[in-house]
Amino acid sequence: MARKNSHKPTATTNELAPRTLILDNGAHTIKAGFSSSSATEEPNDCHIIANCIARSWRDKRTYVGPELLDECWDFGELAFRRPVERGFVVNWEGEKAVWERSFVDKRSRLKCDPHETNLILTEAPNAPAALQRNADEMVFEEFEFATYYRTPSPSLNAYAPSPFSLSPAPGVPLECLLVIDVGHSHTTITPLYDGRPINPACRRLEIGGKTLTNHLKDLLSRNVEVKNEDWIVQEIKEDVCFVSASSSFSSDLERVWKGGHKDPRAVDTTIVVDYVLPDYENVKRGFARPHNPNVSRKERALGLDGGPREHIVTIGNERFTVPELLFTPSDIGMQQDGLPGTILQSLHSLPEGLWQPFLANVLVVGGSSKFPGFVRRLEAELRMLVSDEFVVRVAQAEDPVKNVWLGGAKLARDEGVLKERVVTRQEYLEHGDVWTRRRFAGKVDR
Amino acid sequence: MAAGPLRFRTPHIEELPITQSRQAPGFAWVAVGGPPEDPSKNWGTTNRKRARASAGGQTDAQKEALSARQQKEIERKIRDLNNDNSKDVQIPIPKKEGGGGGGAARAGKTQNTKKILASGKTFAHYLDDEEAEIARTGRREGDVEIVAAPVMMQRPSKTPIARRKATEDSSLDSSPAPTLPIHQGMRPPPVRKPSVTSTVDAMDLDQDEEADRSIPSEAEIEALLSAPPLTYNQARAAPPPCSAPPPRKFCEVCGYFGRAKCMKCGAMTCSVLCKDTHDEQRCLKFYA
Repeated sequence: MARKNSHKPTATTNELAPRTLILDNGAHTIKAGFSSSSATEEPNDCHIIANCIARSWRDKRTYVGPELLDECWDFGELAFRRPVERGFVVNWEGEKAVWERSFVDKRSRLKCDPHETNLILTEAPNAPAALQRNADEMVFEEFEFATYYRTPSPSLNAYAPSPFSLSPAPGVPLECLLVIDVGHSHTTITPLYDGRPINPACRRLEIGGKTLTNHLKDLLSRNVEVKNEDWIVQEIKEDVCFVSASSSFSSDLERVWKGGHKDPRAVDTTIVVDYVLPDYENVKRGFARPHNPNVSRKERALGLDGGPREHIVTIGNERFTVPELLFTPSDIGMQQDGLPGTILQSLHSLPEGLWQPFLANVLVVGGSSKFPGFVRRLEAELRMLVSDEFVVRVAQAEDPVKNVWLGGAKLARDEGVLKERVVTRQEYLEHGDVWTRRRFAGKVDR
Repeated sequence: MAAGPLRFRTPHIEELPITQSRQAPGFAWVAVGGPPEDPSKNWGTTNRKRARASAGGQTDAQKEALSARQQKEIERKIRDLNNDNSKDVQIPIPKKEGGGGGGAARAGKTQNTKKILASGKTFAHYLDDEEAEIARTGRREGDVEIVAAPVMMQRPSKTPIARRKATEDSSLDSSPAPTLPIHQGMRPPPVRKPSVTSTVDAMDLDQDEEADRSIPSEAEIEALLSAPPLTYNQARAAPPPCSAPPPRKFCEVCGYFGRAKCMKCGAMTCSVLCKDTHDEQRCLKFYA
């Protein structure tokens, strides 16, 4: 569907702009930064922007996007609204506000002029076609970037330095990579061949960081009132939770059991911790310390026992039962297989000859994979499930959160490869959105 | 007279909860323990445990099958867990300071963007639209391969691809074997393959003997790569295989393994202490 050129005198040439903005558009945070063919990409170039609009009842202020991490210091009772739902940008009104505040606004660190910038945008795999069209239209018609490349986010991992081999030259992808992205909304498993995803084998597990945070919130609200405190519970989860080895899950649970009516047990204090909640006056950031059974919570909260006034939450088996959900979603009744089982499902839909190369190159990325013990547990479970003749190597990227961005930055450095992939604004206006979508899916050549 | 009690063996039917609960009239398969026993035994027994035990018991599968109401409850909990925004909060987007063509810019610059910015669709809407489109025309917007219209799909399917039967012959969800029609004039984008053959040989060393373990040929790999992406529902992970251990239950109060079920509301607790807490505070059937 050809469209007439807009009335703006935009630079509609077929050339690449000098700078590239790489946006890893996640549900929880946007990882954004510039790259160009001359610079080397450093992890510091990547800025993390909270992808939300948050309202604080205490400050009576609404924080949009980057303002949350930059300006807010009281995270109590913060209500969030996220434009990204289930991994896909659904609410463009909100997303536009966040993007404008991040890139167009005068005060932002990443200020740029979209007309002079290339854009590499990531999306979640298996996107509904209507949402892809919406994204393309917003980028070209609203923000008016010069050129644009949209890709599923796991693909960019193939260009980032890998823990398995020496880093390839910019623009050259790794050959075989099985990417496990444990993200905020869900966990995706994508086998990549030469940087291109093998579509029939992509799988998605509906448990992500968000599910874990909400589950922890439910568990903690048995003891303390945290129904409104999304941010604080998320900090608790990041500070305190870990993944126990599969053989020791039951024994860990035994250790923190308080015992029955007839056989009370002493609780094992190596696992149980006291978490001091932040109140943003004296305690700016919560922290954990080993459980002290002699402190009464009520007295401590009122400051009666001589120590500082602190609100304490005792966290025992929640520390490891919450991340256990990734491996056993049936614990809450979800009818899906755990992460190792889903990896197997993905593998089984590939021809057998490809199993070994993928099993030997399993890359774990994503913020929710930073739990201590996660990679070890995943490797052990995978080892148990596949037959002995396969070599299984599981590694976590050096920076699980920024890895996709680093891959995109490296891709952007090679102008030749970039030029083949992007769609310029002029082409979009000439050929229309269906052509653009097929181009990004790899079905149409120039 | 019947010589013995009539006993119907219902086959094990597992109803997978779908994400939408419709108000449509319908039915649900419920685990049934069988008709009450010979009235001369256990007459007047209000102890359900005794009555159930003497009635011959249920099969393991029937014991594990949840009632429809319990399933709905679980679905609702899971949906809440996967909830993005904070509950019941409407946060309006703050106005930009300094205007700057506020009205026009807010609404979007072109017709398309105006529509997108103003739309209040949620993700569930988009999913439904996509499934409806596939059920109607057999292909997704933007896919060039014209596949045969799917055979007799009354309702868009939400089963993940691993659980679909082979009878649905639409190419969208057939096995990844290269049976997709590839049109002329369509080539995958040029891909750099500097040393594919050499690495392929290196990896093939140990596996030459077994024919089906060999690295697939270039053509097969290309066919795999150019397969269309799965839809959102197809890519969902499937339930665990039947051979997996049954789901674990945890105590509602403290989080340890659950050992006993509350007779009134069905919640699991681990010990007498937790059961007392449950009865006082959390049992749903408190006033019943």
